[in-house]
Amino acid sequence: MQIVLIIAGVFAVIAILMYNSLIGKKNQVENIFAGVDAVLKKRFDLIPNLVASVSQYMEHEKSTLEKVTELRAQAMKPGISDEQKISLDAKLTSALGAINIAMEAYPDLKANENVMHLQRSLNEIEEQISAARRAYNQAVTDLNNAIEMFPTNLMAGWMNLQRKAVFEITVTERQNVDVDALFNK
Amino acid sequence: MKSLSELTDFYYKELYPSLDELEKKRLQIVSQLKWYGGMGAVVFALTAMWMGKNFGLLHPLSIGIILAFIVLASITYRFMTSDYAKDFKAKIITPLIGAIDSNLLYNPDFMISQYLFERSQLFNHSIDRYSGNDYVKGSIDGVPLEFSDVHAEYQTKDSKGRTQWHTLFRGLFLVAEFNKYFKSKTVILPDQAEKNFGSLIGGWLQSINFSRDDLIRLDDPEFEKVFVVYGNDPIEARYILSYSMMKRILDFQKKISHPLFVSFVHNHIHIGIGTKKDLFEPAIFTSLLDFKQAMEYINTLRYTIGLVEELKLNEKLWSKE
Repeated sequence: MQIVLIIAGVFAVIAILMYNSLIGKKNQVENIFAGVDAVLKKRFDLIPNLVASVSQYMEHEKSTLEKVTELRAQAMKPGISDEQKISLDAKLTSALGAINIAMEAYPDLKANENVMHLQRSLNEIEEQISAARRAYNQAVTDLNNAIEMFPTNLMAGWMNLQRKAVFEITVTERQNVDVDALFNK
Repeated sequence: MKSLSELTDFYYKELYPSLDELEKKRLQIVSQLKWYGGMGAVVFALTAMWMGKNFGLLHPLSIGIILAFIVLASITYRFMTSDYAKDFKAKIITPLIGAIDSNLLYNPDFMISQYLFERSQLFNHSIDRYSGNDYVKGSIDGVPLEFSDVHAEYQTKDSKGRTQWHTLFRGLFLVAEFNKYFKSKTVILPDQAEKNFGSLIGGWLQSINFSRDDLIRLDDPEFEKVFVVYGNDPIEARYILSYSMMKRILDFQKKISHPLFVSFVHNHIHIGIGTKKDLFEPAIFTSLLDFKQAMEYINTLRYTIGLVEELKLNEKLWSKE
């Protein structure tokens, strides 16, 4: 009888530990996503300024600028899911990258201190976003691993935890800036 | 910063008069040391023979006398070489540091403050004895930095109440301003656990280290294999440790054969290189004109000061100005 009780006790302890570690991982993901959200918001705040400052110079990139404004509006809508946020973020990043490159063609823009300051701030925020994405991906990977690996997968199935999507880390983020390639374009 | 060949030229051309003078002094000391050493050895041998005959070599009195000999010999050695070491620092190292960058100040007797050393949070143990020398302070490419030799120790008492001293860290310690703003703490240590126990058990051991903040697993497998990272903000840790920064730290670790400790606290980068020896102590038994020896002095300085460029601390691309 005692042995049965001891075994039951051990199982209960293991179950509690597994449950707590899964909850910890889930909360960590949410916690870091809040951090991602905060830096994304910072970027949203800058975008109208940037668009307003550069639109008078950049005649040929009107469509890109409009796209950026539209993406921002979409991403700021209340009640969109995390997955949607992640995919909008990727689109916005690439559109902003396109503007960055296009700005090279306008010497007037590069002489404008206000625009340069905006661009620097935007660059810094991109760095912060990149860091937040990487932190989020690690937390999600930890959670996804726990959801799929034995024995925590049994507990996760019972708790109805779902796998989460990660941010794509773009190739350009991984690489160091290659100055040669920039000039040989 | 001047190139290696420029500095080598400077060492052999500009410093030649001082080198020549010091080299003469060195040879004199070496011959004196040989003379005293020979005398000491003869006296020691005679005493040992006499003691051996009368008491036996393991008698407490014999051991006491042997210890006294060793202490006497090391005091004599210190006494004879300390002037030479002082001259060497004043006449060779001081101008050499000036040649690398005229902004740098050098003080052979001063050291980085214990406050900065403890602020780095690299070593959690309390410190009972703190010393150092060869302090350099200034700025390179607009980046304020300071470094020195540091020797931090702590003491323990054994069951018989005897105190024992243990070295916590001995080597070069550098503090420089970092080029990004941050509020968190991030500590990078050499990865012992994963090396000894493999990634599965080692990784688990690291994650339950109670004396540290949370374990931060980074997405560069090579970096992860060499270092373990603790921090209290997973996002800021990655903001500081971008892919390129991880690569630079890893490359630096590959260049040096000593353990590397790096921490980011209070907007500063703290770097400890566990060389386990003093930096600019002149080698008595090697010629100052010896190329290898000269290279060692020059390279140590270049690597240390070059860290600013190596880690691109001078790149203020962002809004921090």
